[in-house]
Amino acid sequence: MARQKIDTVDITILRNLQRDARTKYTDIANECNVSVDTIIKRYRKLQKQGIITNTTLLLDPRRFGDEVIANFSIDVEPQSIQEVLTYLDKQPGIIFTTHSLGEYDIFTIATARNMNEMNNLKETIQSHTMVREVKTSIWVDQFLLCPQNFELEPLLEETQ
Amino acid sequence: MSTPLDKEIVDHLTENARTSFRQIAKKTDKSTDTIINHYTNLTENGDIRGSTVVVDREKIGYEGIAAFEIDVTSNTDTNSDQILETLIKMPNIIVATKTVGEHDILVLAVIHDLKHYQEISVDISHIKGVKNLASNIWSGNEKIMPKYFII
Repeated sequence: MARQKIDTVDITILRNLQRDARTKYTDIANECNVSVDTIIKRYRKLQKQGIITNTTLLLDPRRFGDEVIANFSIDVEPQSIQEVLTYLDKQPGIIFTTHSLGEYDIFTIATARNMNEMNNLKETIQSHTMVREVKTSIWVDQFLLCPQNFELEPLLEETQ
Repeated sequence: MSTPLDKEIVDHLTENARTSFRQIAKKTDKSTDTIINHYTNLTENGDIRGSTVVVDREKIGYEGIAAFEIDVTSNTDTNSDQILETLIKMPNIIVATKTVGEHDILVLAVIHDLKHYQEISVDISHIKGVKNLASNIWSGNEKIMPKYFII
């Protein structure tokens, strides 16, 4: 996938929106010393380029009744990774799955109302005949999200 | 989260965090002030932690994501909180959490390539208090935007 060309105005837009997606265009325009129209045009350009796919909320799952968050590291029979991934995607509570290279084959993140429900989910995963082992890690305290840690500046150096 | 209106506001903003309060008011048949009040409450009580832009990581030069699972030394000088604080300030680390189970901390990092992956591994293993590091690279086409924005 080719990297897209972006400049300092684009980076300022992305940085502001990473911190707060509701940042006013006028504030970004002031920071960049350009017109609001320019910022709006740039924002649309970033969407068109596919760099910005969406804007969304950062929610606390625990405040929405999902008290327990955990990740499962799953070891499966070698030819069955896709089959197990498809199976996992159908399980309520699983919010993320991916094929993984390393100690185990699949990494998934799940939410549940309580420990009992999370344990049931683990057993459901284990019950699949192609699953060899499931390791569970329960997330404690507030998990930290830092989308602003994406490095954007190298893109700039490349295109200058 | 308390009221059906709260849920509607959250749903609208999850889909597009830049939706104006006026638009939400129109769609829910409430006044803009009501929407603003509910939004303020949702933010103040911690239901909404913030908002962000979702970027296509491949378009900005990241080939993949790696998961690092960290074991912390049982030493009184350093604890998981301090290590977490260091990790979260490192470039390319996008998620960090303490865990109970096989390991003590889980971090997810975006990686440019294998060399970059190695560099991040070395950086993490050099943090004071990190005893052991297990890592995995994700090779699937991860779904961005699951129920909760995590990755």
